[in-house]
Amino acid sequence: MSVTARSRIKSPWLFHLNTGSCNGCDLEIVAALTPRYDVERLGCVLVGSPRHADVLLVTGPVTRQMLPRVIRVYEQVPEPKVVVAIGSCASSGSPFLGSQMIEGPLDKIIPVDVYVAGCPPRPEAIVMGIVTAVKRKFG
Amino acid sequence: MNTIVALLATFPIVFFFSLLFEGIDRKIHARMQKRIGPPIIQPFYDFIKLFNKERIVPVTAASGIFTAVPIIAAAVSILGAAIPVVNLITGTSIVGDLILVLYLLAMSSVMVMIGGSSSGNPYGAIGFSRKMTMMIAYEIPMLISIASLSFNPCFSLAYYDVVATQIRMKSLLAFTRLSMAVAAATFLLCVPAAADAVPFDISEAKTEIIHGSLIEYGGPYLALIKLAKAASNFTLAFLAATLFFYVPALFEGYVSLGLGVALCLCLVTSLIFMLLTTTVPRTIFARLKIGQAFKFYWLIPLTLSMLSVALSIVGL
Amino acid sequence: MTDKSDDAKEIKVDYTRLRIPFGPVHPALKEPISLRVTVRKEEILDVDIRLGHVHRGIEALAENRNLVQTLYLVERICGICCHSHTTCFTQAVEEIGGIKPSERALYLRTLIFELERIHSHLLILGLVGYDIGFETLFMFCWHVREEVLDLFEEITGNRVHHAMNTIGGVRWDLPPHLIEKVNVSLKKIEKSAKYIYDVFQDKTVEKRLCEVGVLSYNEAQELCIVGPTARGSGVSMDVRRDYPYAAYKELKDRFSVVLKYGADTYARTEVRISELFESINLIRTILDELPNGSISMEESVLKLMREIPEGETVSMVEAPRGELLHFVKTDGKEGLRRLKVRTPTLANILGLKPMLIGGEIADIPVTLASIDPCIGCANRITVVDEDQGEVRVIGLEDLRRRGRKR
Ligand code: SF4
Repeated sequence: MSVTARSRIKSPWLFHLNTGSCNGCDLEIVAALTPRYDVERLGCVLVGSPRHADVLLVTGPVTRQMLPRVIRVYEQVPEPKVVVAIGSCASSGSPFLGSQMIEGPLDKIIPVDVYVAGCPPRPEAIVMGIVTAVKRKFG
Repeated sequence: MNTIVALLATFPIVFFFSLLFEGIDRKIHARMQKRIGPPIIQPFYDFIKLFNKERIVPVTAASGIFTAVPIIAAAVSILGAAIPVVNLITGTSIVGDLILVLYLLAMSSVMVMIGGSSSGNPYGAIGFSRKMTMMIAYEIPMLISIASLSFNPCFSLAYYDVVATQIRMKSLLAFTRLSMAVAAATFLLCVPAAADAVPFDISEAKTEIIHGSLIEYGGPYLALIKLAKAASNFTLAFLAATLFFYVPALFEGYVSLGLGVALCLCLVTSLIFMLLTTTVPRTIFARLKIGQAFKFYWLIPLTLSMLSVALSIVGL
Repeated sequence: MTDKSDDAKEIKVDYTRLRIPFGPVHPALKEPISLRVTVRKEEILDVDIRLGHVHRGIEALAENRNLVQTLYLVERICGICCHSHTTCFTQAVEEIGGIKPSERALYLRTLIFELERIHSHLLILGLVGYDIGFETLFMFCWHVREEVLDLFEEITGNRVHHAMNTIGGVRWDLPPHLIEKVNVSLKKIEKSAKYIYDVFQDKTVEKRLCEVGVLSYNEAQELCIVGPTARGSGVSMDVRRDYPYAAYKELKDRFSVVLKYGADTYARTEVRISELFESINLIRTILDELPNGSISMEESVLKLMREIPEGETVSMVEAPRGELLHFVKTDGKEGLRRLKVRTPTLANILGLKPMLIGGEIADIPVTLASIDPCIGCANRITVVDEDQGEVRVIGLEDLRRRGRKR
């Protein structure tokens, strides 16, 4: 494995985008930062600007208002990037399927690398999702 | 010619130690929060990763300035870090004096500021004005505290002279004179602000203005800016450790330390100072508001620095 | 229209005025909300609040689903106060159907309710810490919160969406060994809450929170602010005491409503910390007095659901953020004719404007956090967009367009 690939795997910076989720998934993402799960031990940092990010964590079923923002944020993330759909909402739109306000699920809009199912997925699952995505794409 | 070669040779050392220090800082910060924390070499991973990412220059940015700034900032702050190291290794004051070092450090901050405001993002502009205010607040006491060295008889502003004096006196500068102790305190109080650490990281507060000046930077540019930050933090700690607390001076006359050991001792003391001035406040304080920080710096460190000048003139 | 263009001209001339978008994607926000903030240097001149980024059409969806499906849908309105939503909804349905849950079921509902209050308050205290750059406080609060989530997981099987309520009772019982466990955890949480209380006395924290985001008593009353935000301004209101529901009818005298008169961010934070202790005590009382009996009805939920007649009612609960109101109208054929949800955040978000104007940029995140916004909750309303000087109900045209397509 080249040095570059290795450092990419070792330092995935996260950007969290809420596209109309119910908070459940967002809480679990933030919970993954806290002492019990501590994603920083894997080199992950939650950054505030999409320009710094490598991994885009998207929650929620993509509401109509958020649609242009999802695309814009996706474009702002520099290559190479990974998109992880967190929660059933982003993966399939589950509970809100059939609503007129929903444009999702996410993979209709931007390419998704890994789906983490669950409503909400546990923080362990989210961490696992990030690691899998990064390994698969950069490794 | 020789000096340039020496400076260039020091660049990798500075590069290595500044990133290593940052890694240790992050690790200890995490441990204090009951977390495991990233591996110590994490900053190296970050640097390499960022360096190999796509370069994006936003359409709103003035692209020339925007791209040039990170390079200048990194070069300048590494140079600033290299000068004291070279002087210490060669044991002479061949290149530059303290004012130059401080100037280079300030220059790197100014560069990042300009880069942020050239990005065309309103948060970058706010970051600019906040950093400007902060620099006025901390640079003045910091400069005065360094300048007060020269008010003492037998001291000058040349870096190695100060170190040599400590060796001659076989004691730490901060312990020999009252004025110097006050100056050291001032300098240490200014370090967190210069290093942009909480509670004084107002100019790049993540939750308030989304990293301020850094908001539009990504990829290699961000890597360079991060390097510049790490290098200037390293310089600040190194200056504090060697100017006021040159520990190898204590052993002078008892055992003769080799250059390597002396350098290691200096690095260890600077690490300790960095942990004390950056990591600990970062962990135990909340961020201040710009007005509060400004008031703090003009109330306490500025008064202290004046006091140190006054004391040196009196000859204490 | 005219005064709008005047405004624009003024902005053009005055170069010191800067219009910054705060959100919808912003690191201080876990959810999208958009504030257009006009600033001069650091001072805030004007604030404009935009909602609707999380509008998922839940109320419309509910009309196409049956009652039990809707029960799980209302739970997904918000991940933080999901139990409040389901309690409110089931209460309404039970009232229409004339179903009386057993005492034990009501007590268990209340127990989860108070646990949820603890978890929600810890969460927001942590976020207040995060927004003022005090990462350690954030880490600590969330670490304590994990303790509550563990309890949820043991009792209901889920960390976030508990799915505890069902029509006519609750779904999970509390066996004696769990009562022990809850007691042990409560001790730990109480100890940590005391510590958090001490940390909030810290000088830098106080400097950031005091005199920030002031909302006077009168303003709070005029804007109908609810919950801890109102109690921080000295407005004495609490649905648990004023219109008791579930087991609060019996427990009415066992807790006190915390009131603070500081009216600033610090007061609101203080209210939340004190409520932690109240909730802990209340849970202890519930555990002591837990009545015996079954936890749900004999019949299955589906059978119950079929028997619900046509009717309408309003039900209210005190969610962690304040008064939550559900209006439910059933159609007598398992389904719903109309569901209307009025969440506390919607009431509280109006208070943002008087709180923010005159403040500094640095105060925005923490003021926002101090009203504890739950945007997921607030966004099922139709938003009136006055940007073009017209009143446009977002989504309505789209609805029509889609309707025509079919
Ligand atoms: S998957 Fe579930 S928890 Fe996650 S956002 Fe959707 S409804 Fe909420």
